Amino acid sequence: MERISFVLASDTLEKLHAVALMASVAAVSQMEVNVFVTMNAITAFRKSAIEKKSFRVEGEVGRHLLEKSQQMFYDLLLQGKMMGSLKVYACGMALDLLGEDLDQYFPVFDEVLGVAGFLGKVAGGQVLFV
Amino acid sequence: MVEEAGMKIDEVVDGRGLFCPGPLMELIKTIQLKPVGTVLAVLSTDEGSAKDIPAWIQKVGQEYLKTEKKDGYWEVIVKKIK
Repeated sequence: MERISFVLASDTLEKLHAVALMASVAAVSQMEVNVFVTMNAITAFRKSAIEKKSFRVEGEVGRHLLEKSQQMFYDLLLQGKMMGSLKVYACGMALDLLGEDLDQYFPVFDEVLGVAGFLGKVAGGQVLFV
Repeated sequence: MVEEAGMKIDEVVDGRGLFCPGPLMELIKTIQLKPVGTVLAVLSTDEGSAKDIPAWIQKVGQEYLKTEKKDGYWEVIVKKIK
């Protein structure tokens, strides 16, 4: 099975959505997909941010995404997980810095992982940094 | 079942009004539940999906039959062969 992995570091809605879209379509296209959510991107997955749809928007497309999108980035990831081989990992370092654990986050994460663990899972495949 | 230009359509997946990748996801949800041999027509107002769906069909080894531009939407026809 082909493998593609994403390092999602940005908290802007446009980049969160682009990664979720590519990851979910890859997952339903018989690819093994890994998404490592790190740095500020992790904050967009807080339950409180999702409840209020409180996301950082960069520009025009992001504003339209908030107004019109039928599926937000977290929904797309859940769909990819249900319909294909998609794993989402939360960066342990980011969670440690924030002093938080996965209970405060939208239930899309498979596990908390460090960089070495993630590199082990993505070895031999393409990795995209967003 | 709908008959269209000699092609029997067993199932219509209406993805009109959905943004990419909505129509593709709707097709996947439906095709999983149907028996081998089913012919499905996916309707999409999203032009990207009209191109994505044939690419997905070929990638996963189903049979792509045709794409047709209708009045304000595209119709992509696929046969489940495995």
